[in-house]
Amino acid sequence: MAGPGERPIAIEARGLRKAYGQLQAVRGVDITVRRGEVFCLLGPNGAGKTSVVEILEGYRTASAGEARVLGIPVGGSTTASRELRERVGIVLQSCGVQPDLTVSELVEMYGRYHRHPRPVDEVLSLVELEAKRDERAGALSGGQRRRLDLALALVGDPELIFLDEPTTGFDPAARRQAWSAIRSLCELGKTILLTTHFMDEAQHLGDRVAVMRAGEIIAEGTPDELGGRDRRPAEIRFTLPDGVTLDDVPAVPGGQRTLDAGHVLVHTSEPVRAAHIITGWALERGIGLGSFQIAQPTLEDIYLELTGGDHAERPAQFPSADEETSA
Amino acid sequence: MSVDTETRSGLARDLGLVGWQIRYEQRSYWRNRGRGLFTFVFPLMFLVIFASLDSSAHIKSLGGISYDDFLVPGILAYAVITTTFVNLAISTAILRDEGVLKRMQGTPLPRWAYVAARIGSCALVMTAITLVVVLAGVIFWGLSLRLEAIPAIAVTLLLGTAAFTTLGIGILRFVKNADTAPVIVNLFVLPLTFISNIWFPTNTLPHALRSIASFFPIKPLASSLQYAFDPRHHGAAFDGAALRTLLIWAAVGTYLMVRFLRRPLGDDVP
Repeated sequence: MAGPGERPIAIEARGLRKAYGQLQAVRGVDITVRRGEVFCLLGPNGAGKTSVVEILEGYRTASAGEARVLGIPVGGSTTASRELRERVGIVLQSCGVQPDLTVSELVEMYGRYHRHPRPVDEVLSLVELEAKRDERAGALSGGQRRRLDLALALVGDPELIFLDEPTTGFDPAARRQAWSAIRSLCELGKTILLTTHFMDEAQHLGDRVAVMRAGEIIAEGTPDELGGRDRRPAEIRFTLPDGVTLDDVPAVPGGQRTLDAGHVLVHTSEPVRAAHIITGWALERGIGLGSFQIAQPTLEDIYLELTGGDHAERPAQFPSADEETSA
Repeated sequence: MSVDTETRSGLARDLGLVGWQIRYEQRSYWRNRGRGLFTFVFPLMFLVIFASLDSSAHIKSLGGISYDDFLVPGILAYAVITTTFVNLAISTAILRDEGVLKRMQGTPLPRWAYVAARIGSCALVMTAITLVVVLAGVIFWGLSLRLEAIPAIAVTLLLGTAAFTTLGIGILRFVKNADTAPVIVNLFVLPLTFISNIWFPTNTLPHALRSIASFFPIKPLASSLQYAFDPRHHGAAFDGAALRTLLIWAAVGTYLMVRFLRRPLGDDVP
């Protein structure tokens, strides 16, 4: 069986740059996405994610660098070749649709632009919009609209799908539905390039994650190994039992004990052994360990560390490319 | 079906797409009550109001033509302008703001095919309102429709549609967003209609105003229709000078439209 390393390349970008006047929005980005892979571009607002994606989609020219999507050069002009548009599906960050047509009419209409459209019913069931097929697009809720966006990107049976922040503004239920729709695309063997600023989304959907910050990719890997996450010390945490001091807790190899607001924290590179020692000690002494848990650092911990914790605020010199295109 | 589409030549397939797209545009148009009201019902309403003001009057300065024979073609010109220029400029500005144009740009539908379909759909609405206005004119206001004048009417409507649809898209270069679109569009259309033989004869207006009106395409459209519908004329009744002006504006409109379409949607906006 061919490993992911041997699969053909779907997207390849080298030294991609984009400047808007004085503003360096993308500063030398390399990306390789293989067929059948879900590649997640993660980063705070204004990191340059949308600029990168829109160059690859053929909406923007690159100031420098080279990029090929399905072997077709992009970034040289803003009119992407028809062949490319035939083979990719695009879900833009925020993009309207003809409001007076119904859901099924729109799927049929966008399908006609393609040589080999998927059947309307199949597409509607894939995004779980069958119940809304005769509803006008203008009457849909935000989550339903986003799934319609996905349907319109899918109807041409594309090999590659771009999803730019597909679940921003969703409530948790709508997000779950969108995730299930996106996962069903993976099962169909589609290549997906997804941007998001939600850690759980990247963790959930991404085969590989690249973290962007201030126009550059600062880390790349699988969600589990990003930033050396798999090699970081784990944390064992439990409530300090009554009548026990921190010094009573047995020392563990390669670990250190600290006390944090009534909780014992043990950081260790050998979580299995450490847990064995601590629980053995508790059982022997007949002590209960309240809220006992072992955790690896979350993707969010790594992400905040990588992006310098500026997730919420964007750097002043980079107005949000992600937001202004939708304005 | 797929075998069929593959064997057909690219152009034939694209023309088929234009046909389909016209159908979707039509469905959209007639379902949107606001737009239908604004572009289709307004001219009819003006026709009824103005025609009932003084239906037996005759216009001395125009050689005693009856006001109705003057007004109905004038209203028809106004209807052509609202269903083409006003409708296309405002609705396309909205589509641009909403991101629909950007979405369409990401599909395999060629840009020219989409624009052709939008123009074709406008031409259908224009044809519909022409039939309604002419029919109402003939039935209620004694409009004379001479067989020999029909080619002149058709050519006028064709050139008028060509000029006002292309201008409607071309003007979007100068329209920042959908909010300002109705303002800018009506800033051109409304004042010009008052000096362009639409509501009342303008041949007694100061010379400067009449020159301005003759420069823009509204008066040529109205005059050419009034000339063809004038019961005192015989034969084909082509208004050569007016048609020439419309042709020039169709060329200007096409140029502006192509310039607008060539510009990428927002490449220089971060």
